[in-house]
Order: sequence, then C-alpha cells, then structure tokens
Amino acid sequence: MRQLLALAASDLRMRIRDRSVLIFALVVPLALMFVFNLVFGNTDDIEIEPVTVAVSAPAGDDLAAVVGEVLRSLDGMDGLDVTVRETTADDGRRQVEDGDAALAVLVPEGFGEAARTGDAVTVEAVRGDEAGLEADVVLSAVDGVLDQLGTGAVTARAGLAEGIPPDQLAALAEQATAGGPAYELRQGEASDEQLDAGASLVAGQAGLFLLFTVSFGVTSLLVDRETGTLARLRSMPIPAWTIVGSKALVSFVLGVVSTSVLLLAGSFFFDADFGSPPAVALLVVCVVAAATSVMFLIARVARTSEQAGIATSIVAVVLGIGGGAFFPVSATGRFAPLLDLNPVAALLRGLGTTSGGGGVADLGVPIAIMLGFAATTWVLSRLVPDRGALA
Amino acid sequence: MTTVPSAHDVLVVDSLVRRFGDLTAVDGVSFRIAPGETYGLLGPNGAGKTTTISMIAGLIAADSGTVKVAGQRMTPATTEPRRHLGLVPQELAIYPELSARENLTLFGRLQGLSGKALSARVEEVLELIGLADRAKSLSKEYSGGMKRRLNIGIGLLHQPTLLILDEPTVGVDPQSRNQILESVEALSADGMAVLYTTHYMEEAERLCDRIGIIDTGRLQAEGTRDELIRLTGGVDTIRLSGSGDLAAAAERLRALEGVERVEADRRTATLTVRDAPVLVASVVGTVAGSGVTLADVEISRPDLESVFLHLTGKALRD
Ligand SMILES: Nc1ncnc2c1ncn2[C@@H]1O[C@H](COP(=O)(O)OP(=O)(O)OP(=O)(O)O)[C@@H](O)[C@H]1O
Ligand SMILES: [Mg+2]
Repeated sequence: MRQLLALAASDLRMRIRDRSVLIFALVVPLALMFVFNLVFGNTDDIEIEPVTVAVSAPAGDDLAAVVGEVLRSLDGMDGLDVTVRETTADDGRRQVEDGDAALAVLVPEGFGEAARTGDAVTVEAVRGDEAGLEADVVLSAVDGVLDQLGTGAVTARAGLAEGIPPDQLAALAEQATAGGPAYELRQGEASDEQLDAGASLVAGQAGLFLLFTVSFGVTSLLVDRETGTLARLRSMPIPAWTIVGSKALVSFVLGVVSTSVLLLAGSFFFDADFGSPPAVALLVVCVVAAATSVMFLIARVARTSEQAGIATSIVAVVLGIGGGAFFPVSATGRFAPLLDLNPVAALLRGLGTTSGGGGVADLGVPIAIMLGFAATTWVLSRLVPDRGALA
Repeated sequence: MTTVPSAHDVLVVDSLVRRFGDLTAVDGVSFRIAPGETYGLLGPNGAGKTTTISMIAGLIAADSGTVKVAGQRMTPATTEPRRHLGLVPQELAIYPELSARENLTLFGRLQGLSGKALSARVEEVLELIGLADRAKSLSKEYSGGMKRRLNIGIGLLHQPTLLILDEPTVGVDPQSRNQILESVEALSADGMAVLYTTHYMEEAERLCDRIGIIDTGRLQAEGTRDELIRLTGGVDTIRLSGSGDLAAAAERLRALEGVERVEADRRTATLTVRDAPVLVASVVGTVAGSGVTLADVEISRPDLESVFLHLTGKALRD
C-alpha cells in the first residue's frame, strides 16, 4: 500500500509537471463551455408566452369534449399559460388567421362515434404563422390525447363484440384516456429532472472530458511499457496489482478533481445550480469510477499508447455525444435502452435530479448504472487477453 | 579456472526455454553465478540475452526450466526473490519528468527503503553515478550518458545481491562508457554479483570473471576468458624484431618450456607459444642473452571474437 501511494504520488507529480493533463482536463473543456455558451446561449432566453387556443367540438360528443378538457388542464403546467376558447370550426380558423388565437383545434362531427367504433377520424389543427414554441407544446399534448383515444377506440371495439351497452363504452373510453400517461410523460420530461441549458452544457462537457482526463493515468501504463520502466517496476518486490492500482488511483484522483472543478467553475460562470453537494459528489465519484474502468479496458486492448489515445477519443466522443454532452439525445427502437446505460447520460440524469432538489436517496438509478458500468468494464478488462503484455 | 557450483550461488539458471510463436528465443540455457562474481552473457543482436534476463528477473514466464535467485524460485508471481535483484533494463527505464533524486527516491521506496536510510543511500548513489550536482534537474534534460548512469544507479540503489545489467553501454560516448565500466568494476570489487550482457567483447573481457557465449538462444560455451580461448585450440604469437642474429637465438628459444614453434631470420622471429604474457619475459631475456638488441616485441592472442567465430562460424558483429 505504501508503495502504491509512492507510485501514485510520483505519477501525479509527473502528470502535473507535464501540463497536458491540466490542458485537457480543465482548460479545453472550460474554453468549450464558453464557446458553446456563445453559440447556443440564446436558447437560454426562451420565454414561454401565453397562448390562446380555439377549440371547436361537436355538441353532445363527450369524447370530443375530452380534447377541450385536456387543453384547459395544460394551463399552469410547466409555466404554460393556456386560454381555451370554445367556438365553431370556421370561427376557429378565422381567429388563427387574424392572429387572435395561436392555434385552432377542430374536432369533427362524429368524432366520439368514430373513436368508439375504431374508424379513422382526423382532428384538424391550425397553427398560426406567428405561433411560438408554446403552440408546439400544446400541439404535442393534443397528439398525445389522440393517441390515447386510439387506445380508447380499441377498447370500445373489443367491448362491442362482447355486447356491452354503448353508454358504458363511452365511460370505458374516457377511463382509458384519463388513465393513459401520454401527456404526463411529456410533463415528466420537461420537469425538474431536466437540467437547464447552462447546467447541461457544463455537465455535458465535464462528462465528455472526464474520459480524456482519466486516460492520462492509464496511458502512462502503456508509456511505461514502451520505455522499459514497466519492466523495471515489475522487477521490484511489489505485487503486480500495485502498479495497475497506482495508475487507477491517479486516474481516479485526476477525474474527481477535474470534474469537481469543472462543475464548480460551471456553476460560477453559467449560473448552473446542481443542488445538494453530497449528492453531486456521490455522482462524481461514481462516474469517475465508470470512466476509469473504461480506460483499463482500453489499456488492455491497445498495443501502444498511441492506439490507446485514439481509442480514448473514440470512446469519449461516443459516450459523450450519446450521453447528451452536446445536445439532448433520445433514441427510439430496440437499442434505445442501451443509450441509458451510458455513464455520461447517467451523470446528466443524476445531476438533473439533484438540481431539481433531489438528494442521495433519489439517485438510485444513475448510481446503479454508473457502478454497473464500472463493474462490467472492469470484469471485461480482466477477461480480454492483454495484447501488449510483457508476457 | 571455473568457479565450483555451490549451494550458495546467487543465481542458478536451469534449462530455460522460451518461445515466441515458432521462434525459440531461449533454448535450454543453464548457468550459475557465485557471490561476488561477474558473469557476462556475450552474444549478437537477437541472441536471446534480454529474453533470458526477463525470465531471470521474473518479468516473463519460462516455457520450461527454472530460475533461482538467492536460493528462491523466481517466477512472474513471486515477490520475495526480487529483493535480492537489481535490474538495469536495456531501455532507459527512468521517468523523464522526475529529477535524478526523485527517480532514485521513488524506486528506492519501491525496493522497500525508507526514511533516513533511503535519503542517505540516494545521496551516496548520486555521488557514485556522478550526478550529485545535477540531482535536481529533470532527467529529460540530461545527456544520453547521464541518463544511462541514472538508469544504472536505480538498479544498484538497494545494494542487491545480484545486479543485472542489460547492455548498459549501448549508445554511450567513450567517456561515459568508461565511467560505467569503472563503476561496474567498483561494485564487483565491493562483492556484488553482476550479470552483464553485451555484444562488445572488450567489455566482457575487461569486466567478467566468466563469460557465457550465447547465440540463437543457446549457450554455445562458457568459462573464463582463457578457458574459452583454449577452445579455439588457438595459441599465442610473439613477434620479435631487432638487430643482431635472431636466427642464432632461435635454437635457445625452442628449448624454452611453453614455446611450440619458432620461425626466424636474422632480423625477425615469430614464436608460437602457449601463454604469451607469462612467457614473454623469459623470451626477451633469452634473446638479449644471445646478444640481440630488440627493437620491437609484439604479442597477439586470439580474442573472444575468434572464439565466437570458431563456435558459430560467424562474426560477433556485422
Ligand atoms: N515479445 C516478443 N515477441 C516476439 N518475439 C520476441 C519478443 N521478444 C524477443 N523476441 C525475439 O526473440 C529473439 C531474442 O530476442 P532478445 O531481445 O532476447 O535478444 P537480445 O540478445 O537481447 O538482442 P539485442 O542485443 O538486440 O538486445 C529475437 O529474435 C526477438 O525478435
Ligand atoms: Mg537485448
């Protein structure tokens, strides 16, 4: 242990003297934060404006009325200010043309019946030229409701076959609609779980460059191998794991320090608030552990320090971009859940939780992802054959 | 004379074999080193010297055969026998971003030294390798020779029983080279056993008590310099020139013990003898006694180069 610390201390001293770690771990990511903030910074100033929606629904159609209800219920949610005006289809169109309403949602005659029988039906939405982001938010909520009503329609059809009376079907359809989480899901996405623009810029860059930073500890193992220093180290009366352990410790310390400094500097320069310090510290420690173990996999597979450098860049870019270091990423399809297993994504997600007031207890999923990732890559790194080994 | 193998040998290498794919880099190498002895492994590039040393130092596993350092079995998994061993790798195994003092201190710690004993020993070694006045500069700023000396200093810091030097003078200017050879001689005089690999036969001749000649992974022959030279069946030559009748002295020279053949004319004589350095005094005396005034005496002996040529049919260096 004493020897491990002696080795790690010397290594740290060299990394600091060498300065490239300072540049990669702090200077470049900070500079990039400033650049990206200049380029994308205006997204910071998005103001949600009040929005007026004209709705026409056929009288006596309780399913059609649900659409209006949903729109009204959006008012006040996520800072949306929604005014719903009941009107006729023609008047709704005219209001949008005149700019009196940002959006008109026109539910056709026979909508409820069509939904019950499962027939195709089109709800028309008219969007004003001047309409802003908030109109799109409202539209997506309407989309969600219609999707849910599709579910309702299926329920209705199945019910008919079994001979349930039509008035009960209406209730069933509404139940299916009310129970469905279509717009609740969107609500979750846009809530406290998300970092604001400044914070996600800081967290994203910190997550991306973390992978470069930790690579310094580990590639020094490959440099030692190339210079013969590893042979010398191996000839000494210390257990072999001491050498690898000291490199891991160096990576870990560099990673924790640089990520902490970046998050602190970020909150200072970009007004990011990441919330509870102990919870953030826990996230940092776990993401650094995950990043460090990736490097050991690379150190194992790479033959030379140059190869390791290239591999590090690829992994950093893939995990960084996949994790949303530059822009939010969402994927659909069979492999989408894989994207969530990315430690950078988990870091951003965890910081979203802490910035929304979450504490250590709320970090179960991101922490589990990071530690699971760390454990898996570590085991993998022990399993793959050591391509550049002495033996 | 050959050292008698004893139970106290600091190194016992027995039938080491190491293959890399189809290539057998080390093919059944066996030898022993006694305490305080300097043993040379002399062989050309690719002979298997570094591979042999890597197995001795426990860096790589042997395919078969065993290594014992100070009586303890050495494998890549053992720690204990490494305490007795100081390795000076062929490459410059130093940290360029650390000063000489920092390099020595770090590796000293790893060898288990600490506190005052460590710092005292570090200063001692800095003196020994002539870097005391540059101890604080980063070693990347040193000349090639200084780096080489630091490389060696790290290996002997903990006063190992056996110091292994893998071609320590490669790429070194003549002055630094001489300095290195002198320090190896000094260490050996202090009683440290040394395993020294080289492809310079002059170094092997100058430093080593015994020499193993290695080529294509096999130990071709082993012994003291003189024993090896005797293998060639070669004999020494003494050439004389002078004024007076050398031909007349030839008869008396032939009568000397150890002289095998004499060819002479009036001005020169060429003697084939068994041990020229021993014989030369009586040869000169005999000639002078015959009234010849000698102008020049020249001894030539077969060297390790001739031995290598004799054993392998090729030159040591291309
Ligand atoms: N890791 C390795 N993989 C494959 N072949 C190797 C490896 N190490 C050594 N060899 C081969 O084994 C043979 C012996 O190499 P070794 O380095 O032991 O020679 P050497 O006597 O030290 O030569 P030099 O004087 O050039 O240092 C060479 O043919 C070399 O190419
Ligand atoms: Mg070699």
